[in-house]
Amino acid sequence: MNMAIQWRYCRKWFTGTRNLLEALDFFNGRFIKFSVYFNRGTGPVPGFGKMGLSSKYLFTSYLHSSILTRHKSRLPYLRFSPVCSNRIHSDAKLQDPFFLAQKDLNNFYDDIRKELFVSKSELNSLCDYYFDGTGKAFRPMVAVLMGRACNIHNNKSGDLLPDQRSVAMISEMIHTASLVHDDVIDGSDRRRGKSTINDVWGEQKAILAGDFILSVASMALARIGNDSVVSVLSQVIDDLVRGEFMQLGSKEKEDERFKHYLEKTFKKTASLIANTCKAVSFLGSIDPDVHEIAYQYGRNVGIAFQLVDDVLDFTSCASQLGKPSATDLRLGLATGPVLFACQQFPELDAMIMRRFSSRGDVDLAWQYVLESDGVDQTNFLAQRYCQEAIRQVSLLHPSPERDALIRLTEMVLTRDK
Amino acid sequence: MTLIGCRLSCIGLLNRGQRNIHMFSNTAPSNWNKVVSDAEKIVGYPTSFMSLRCLLSDELSNVAMHVRKLVGTKHPLLNTARGFIYDSRNNLQMRGLVVLLMSKAAGPSQNTASDLISQDMVCGIYPSQRNLAEITELIHTAFLVHRGVVNLKEWTNSDGPLKDMQFGNKMAVLSGDFLLANACTGLAQLKNTKVLGLISSAIGDLVQGIYHEMPNSLEENSLTEDINMVTWEERTFLSHGALLAKSCQAAMELAKHDKDAQRLAYEYGKHLSLGHKLNSDLQPFMKSGSADGETFSLDSAPVVLHRQIIGQKRWRHQLQQAKTIGRQMDYAKLRSTIKLEGGVTSTMDLCRFHSSKALESIQRFPSSKARSALENIASAVTNF
Repeated sequence: MNMAIQWRYCRKWFTGTRNLLEALDFFNGRFIKFSVYFNRGTGPVPGFGKMGLSSKYLFTSYLHSSILTRHKSRLPYLRFSPVCSNRIHSDAKLQDPFFLAQKDLNNFYDDIRKELFVSKSELNSLCDYYFDGTGKAFRPMVAVLMGRACNIHNNKSGDLLPDQRSVAMISEMIHTASLVHDDVIDGSDRRRGKSTINDVWGEQKAILAGDFILSVASMALARIGNDSVVSVLSQVIDDLVRGEFMQLGSKEKEDERFKHYLEKTFKKTASLIANTCKAVSFLGSIDPDVHEIAYQYGRNVGIAFQLVDDVLDFTSCASQLGKPSATDLRLGLATGPVLFACQQFPELDAMIMRRFSSRGDVDLAWQYVLESDGVDQTNFLAQRYCQEAIRQVSLLHPSPERDALIRLTEMVLTRDK
Repeated sequence: MTLIGCRLSCIGLLNRGQRNIHMFSNTAPSNWNKVVSDAEKIVGYPTSFMSLRCLLSDELSNVAMHVRKLVGTKHPLLNTARGFIYDSRNNLQMRGLVVLLMSKAAGPSQNTASDLISQDMVCGIYPSQRNLAEITELIHTAFLVHRGVVNLKEWTNSDGPLKDMQFGNKMAVLSGDFLLANACTGLAQLKNTKVLGLISSAIGDLVQGIYHEMPNSLEENSLTEDINMVTWEERTFLSHGALLAKSCQAAMELAKHDKDAQRLAYEYGKHLSLGHKLNSDLQPFMKSGSADGETFSLDSAPVVLHRQIIGQKRWRHQLQQAKTIGRQMDYAKLRSTIKLEGGVTSTMDLCRFHSSKALESIQRFPSSKARSALENIASAVTNF
C-alpha cells in the first residue's frame, strides 16, 4: 500500500520535470577549460572518446542564465545528442518505468520482510526498518526491467522469472545492509526522513542488523543455485567494502584524484546496479553479448546516478534529500563538483587535502563550488554516462521494458531527491 | 616496503598491551595448547589461515595504520587487534583446524560420479576444504571485530573523547565488513551453492546468538528473564556452535560425502562447541581464592543451572543478599553461594555429556591420526 503511494509520487515528479524540460530548449554554448581524466579501472568516460583524449578543451553547454542561478530546484539539463534519440526518443513510444515495473514489484517489500523473519522480535524490527516501502526502489526497478528486456531479447516471452525477481530482492537487501553500515561509519542520524537504526537502537545492534540482512540475502542467493549469479553478486559485496575504504584516503595529484573518485563511485554505487543487471541477464539469456550489454547499461546508469547524487548534495535543500546538504563536505569527501571546481579555484586544493577539516572550510568550499562550473560539469558528465547507457541498451531487441530503461536514464538525470 | 614496516610497528604497539581476548574461549585448559599443536602437524601446515591475501591487502594495512591512532583510547577494537595478533602467532585458530581435521578424517570422496580428483589433495585435504577452513576463520574474526563496536550514546566524557570512539567504530565496521566480504567471495569461488547456503545460515545464526548476548534496554532484564537450560543451549548453539557445526558439515559436502557423514560432522562440531563453552563458563568457579574479584555472566551455564535447581524465589533472595549497600553485585559472595549447591557439578556433567557425544559422532570415520586428534580435542574440553 505504501509503495503505491510512492509510485504515484514518483510519477508526479517525473511528469513535472518533463514539462519543465520541454520548455528548456534554449542553450548557450561556450568553451570552458577543464580536463577530464580517464579512469582505467572503471572504463573510459563515455562520449569523450570521439573528441580525442588528448584534448583538454571540451565542449559543454550551459543552461539559460536564469536557470543557472536556481541551483536548488532543478538540474541543468541537456538534450541527448541525436545518437539514439531520433529513433526511440519520441515520447509516444516511451514507456513509464514505474508502471511497467509495478506488476513485478507488487508485495516486493512484504516478500523481503518474510525472508528476514526471525523469532527474536527486536532484531526483526531493526531488519524491517528500511523495507517499509518508502524507498525509491530504483535498483529493483532496473533489475526487473532489465530482466524482462533480456527475456524478450532472448525468447520473445517477456515474463519475469521467479529467480530474476529474487535477484532484485537480493540486490535491494545488499544495498540496504550497506546503508545501515554506512550510517554507522558516517555517524548519520537521519535517513529517508527518519532516524537511522544506529540512532534508535545504537551502533552495536545496527551493525548486527546489517550483517543479518546480508546473511539472509546470501541464503536467498544460494537458493537460486546458479554459480555465475553467486559470483557476480558476491563481487558487489566486495566492491562495496573496497569503495568504502577508498573514501578513507585522498590522493595528492589532481589526475589521480579524479580517477580515484570515479573508481570509488563505480565500486560504491554502480557495481551493485551493473552486476544486478548482469545477474538477471544470466538467468534470461545465455548470450555473453547480452550479459555485457546488461552490465554496461547498469554500470553507466549507476555512475550517472551517483554523479547526480553528488550534485544534489550541493544543490538540494535539506528537506528534499532527506538529509542535510553538503553532507559529503562535512564528511571530508571531495566529490565531482568539488573536483571540477578545484580546476577553476586552486584554493580548494589545500582544503581537499585536509578533508575540509579546518574551521570554515565547508562553507568556503561550498561557495567556491557554487561559483564554479563544478555542478554543471558534473551534470554534463552524468549525461555522458547516460548516453552510453542508452547506446548499450538500444542494442537489445525493442520492447516496452527496454524503452523504459532508456527513459529511466532521463529520470536519473532529472531527479531532485 | 614502508607499508610492511608500518604494519610491523603497529603490531609492536599492539602487543605491548595486555591481551584479554582469546579466539575460542575466555580460558583454555592447560594441555589445550599441546592438543592443538599436535593436531596442526597432522593437517600439513600451520593454521594461520587468515589468508596472506587479506593481511597484505591495502585495505587492512590502511586499518592497521589507523588503529595506531587508537592506542591509548578505550576502544575495544584495540583489544581485538591485540588478541588477533597474539593468537595468529600461537596458532589458536581452532575452527579452521577442526574443519581441516574433519576433512582429513573423512577421507577422499567415495562418490565416483563427482569430479573430485584425489591427486588434488594435499595431506589428505581437498583445496576447497582448505579454503572453507579459511572462510570459517574469516567469519569468526569478522564477528570478533564487529562485536567490538561501541554504542556512542552510552559513552560518557569521562571515558575519553567521543571522537576516538567514533573513529574506532569506523575502523571496526570497515575491517569486519572487509573480512566478511572476503568470506563472501571465497564462498562464491567454491562454486557450491549448498555450501553457500549452509555458511550463510551460520552467519545468520551467529548474528542472532550475539544479539541475544547484548544487554537489553532494561538493566535488570537478564536477572528476571527466565532462561532455562533449553534456552541456554539454543542461544549458545547460535553464538558458539552453529558456525563450526555447519562448517564441518560443509567440508563433507565439498568432498561429496553422503548425508550421514554430513550429519555426523555437524554433530561433532555442535557438541564440541557446546562442551567448550560449558568449560569456559565453568572457569570462574574452578579457581579458588585468587580470582575472587572476577565477575561472571549471570547467563553462564553454572548460574542458569543453579537457578533451575534452587528455584526462582530462592535465587532472587540470594541475589538480594549478594548485593552490597551501593547496589553493586558482590561476585565473590555470589560465587560462593552458587558453589554450595549443585549447579557447578551439573554443568561439569553436562560438559562431559557433550564431550562424549562429540566422540561418539566420529566413531564411524575410519581410524586415523586425524580422527585421534579430533578425539583428543573433544576429550580436552573436560579438563576443568
